[in-house]
Amino acid sequence: MKVSVLQENLAHGLNIVSRAVSPRSTLPVLGNILIATDEGRLRLSATNLELGITCWIGAKIEEEGSTTVPARTFTDLVSTLPPDRVNMELNIRNQMLNVRSGTSNTDIKCIDSQEFPPMPVPDLNNGVEINVTDLREMIRQVAFAASTDEARPILTGVLVTFEDNNMTLAAADGFRLSVRKSQLTTSIEQPISAVIPARALSELARITIDGDQVVTMILPPHSGRVIFRSKDAELVSQLIEGTFPDYEQIIPRSHETRTILSTSAFLKACKQAEIFAREGSLIARIHISPGDELQPGKVEISGQSEETGSNVTVIDASIEGIPLLIAFNVRYLREVLDVIKTPDVALETTADTSPGIIRPVGEDNFLHVIMPMHLGN
Amino acid sequence: MNNENSTVGEKLRRIIHFDLDAFFCAVEEKYNHSLRGKPFAVGGSPEGRGVVASCSYAARRYGVRSAMPMARALRLCPNLIVLRSRHGEYSKESQEVMKRLRAVTDLVQQISIDEAFLDVTNLAESAEMIAHRLQKTIREELSLPCSIGLASNKLVAKIATDVGKLASRGVGPPNAMTIVPPGTEADFLAPLPVEMLWGVGPKTAERLERIGVITIGDLAQIPEIELANIFGKHGWDLARRAKGIDNSPIVTFRQAKSISNETTFSKDVSDRQTLYNRIDTLSESVAKRLKKHGLQGKTVKIKLRWSDFTTLTRQMTLFNPTADYEEIYHAAIKLVRKVWQPGKAVRLVGVGVSGLEDKPKQLSLWDVNRESEEKFHRVQEAIKTVHERFGKDALTLGFHGKNVLENNRKLSKNRGHLGDNDG
Repeated sequence: MKVSVLQENLAHGLNIVSRAVSPRSTLPVLGNILIATDEGRLRLSATNLELGITCWIGAKIEEEGSTTVPARTFTDLVSTLPPDRVNMELNIRNQMLNVRSGTSNTDIKCIDSQEFPPMPVPDLNNGVEINVTDLREMIRQVAFAASTDEARPILTGVLVTFEDNNMTLAAADGFRLSVRKSQLTTSIEQPISAVIPARALSELARITIDGDQVVTMILPPHSGRVIFRSKDAELVSQLIEGTFPDYEQIIPRSHETRTILSTSAFLKACKQAEIFAREGSLIARIHISPGDELQPGKVEISGQSEETGSNVTVIDASIEGIPLLIAFNVRYLREVLDVIKTPDVALETTADTSPGIIRPVGEDNFLHVIMPMHLGN
Repeated sequence: MNNENSTVGEKLRRIIHFDLDAFFCAVEEKYNHSLRGKPFAVGGSPEGRGVVASCSYAARRYGVRSAMPMARALRLCPNLIVLRSRHGEYSKESQEVMKRLRAVTDLVQQISIDEAFLDVTNLAESAEMIAHRLQKTIREELSLPCSIGLASNKLVAKIATDVGKLASRGVGPPNAMTIVPPGTEADFLAPLPVEMLWGVGPKTAERLERIGVITIGDLAQIPEIELANIFGKHGWDLARRAKGIDNSPIVTFRQAKSISNETTFSKDVSDRQTLYNRIDTLSESVAKRLKKHGLQGKTVKIKLRWSDFTTLTRQMTLFNPTADYEEIYHAAIKLVRKVWQPGKAVRLVGVGVSGLEDKPKQLSLWDVNRESEEKFHRVQEAIKTVHERFGKDALTLGFHGKNVLENNRKLSKNRGHLGDNDG
């Protein structure tokens, strides 16, 4: 193999694939990045067997070939090279990769690419095309609600379903649920449903950029895997086996109180309350008091802890329904408000022990359910 | 006679006092039939400061009593078989017993490992039937003897049990059943020695004797105002109790006022570090019990008994309720620092938390926790088994465990991250 690439492109490609490297694996080759010539471009791949990321960069290829290069060594080296051409040549006999750039001349010990786990070659014709900008926002609004507790594997995933021209992402960790819907440009023939690790989707959001336009999602039959392919990158992930809880059932159908308030004011209040609540039980007390003809309704958000003190914010709100004192995990509130882009947000509540719903006002494609905290007596 | 005892609707209350007979010994006998009828005692070793925790009825005939130093018990009864306490077994049996009591009604107030009150006022069956069946169930299903007192309040029910047990003179367990019909409380108490009444210790008894009071009946004759003059507020209570009046409710665990643990040192301690270490252990077990019941408390208290038996307690109120081991420990140390005197020997130390309330709890969208809770309980059970078989040191917490905690404490005031780490 003999190739020449721009340092900038190489650094970018390494940055994209490096999150899939597993440096502490018992399989040394998983700590390496595959570099291979591929139809006029240079392909970089890394995998930890659960998640694999591939990226293609422009290259001048003089001689086809491939090898796997130790990720850390190579990434560290490339980051210090001048923004210039990097020439790489592999000595197949001893798997030494010679890297030359400017005045720098390096030989890196590699592992034969035969040892690298084969990455699946997707059939792009059987995929679903998804708008990248949509997909990235959907992931941002849902993935955070997935569980990080490996004891409940199914909840560490995001349920992705397609039906007709609708796409839905849902995640729940048992205490909260995030659901985001979107329309596809074309209808699909058969409904699809898969549980994809939230971590893989977050990586996907990271490696795709809005300019990519479309991502194709492919679920090769009986492979237990999902593949996302954009113009210059590909992500492969294991699916999570098992049945995702029937989340429709836990979305409350009615409410006693609907509170509409400024998203940014509510978020700011939660951030302040969290500064104090995080030292203790993470409780934010939300006191909802409807107004009357003369004055607007008010929402009081407070957090406190023994060590640091207390904080209270009062926000004007439009409130329909009964007054209520309800407590939420302030981190849950902050995380959902962080992903709502509409200027106003609605909080629908029933009682201090019933789930609350948070919705962006004026957009009905997103909803978030949070269970309150029980304050005791 | 007009009854002043509290009523539920128009009905007088029906309270069962339930007491296992020589509980620890009964458990030992259950697993080792050869002990039956023999004088034996469970407790600490006769060397050092071991005391009798429980003794068989055969041993009682020699004058052996619980709380007596084991060495003295052996002098009274040289044939006494001394067994080491196996608290794991006892608490397992106790849990089985309490489970059966709670199957009768939710209104169960467990007072100790072997004693409880039940409020059976509103049950369809008659209290007498329930009492008899309960005694039979515990005897047949768990092979444990018990005595029961049934009355219209806790005070009289408890005394009824005591009277029933005292009346039994055999070598076997009393298996007593004493029923005080409503309206006869005062008559039932009248002939009994005044010491049998709650709140009458040796000192009060002595002062009462000076004014000619020997029996509870004598006490009931003294005008309330006179008792109030002598004993203050306590006098009013005495007057009411002497008439068999007690309106205190059944307090189920959730309403319990405090959780505390205390230990007596095997040798009086004047070294501060040893004292602190013990406070550490006590704080940990108090925190564990709080967490187990999903409770937290605002007030931390300590109890110190010097070697001359003078006892003092101190308490402080925290800004926020806590169930956190470190917070309890720090507060307890703060309190002890105020009263501890270098060189002065401590006999007993206790740590407690009061002002209890339910801990705030993140509610679940669905029952996700059941699975992991079950797993957690299985793990806990396994740890308990290991502890019981091989001792507490056989298995300790790893990374989150005590040594790390101790180091943390020394290195920094960093805390909170271990707060809820119960599993």
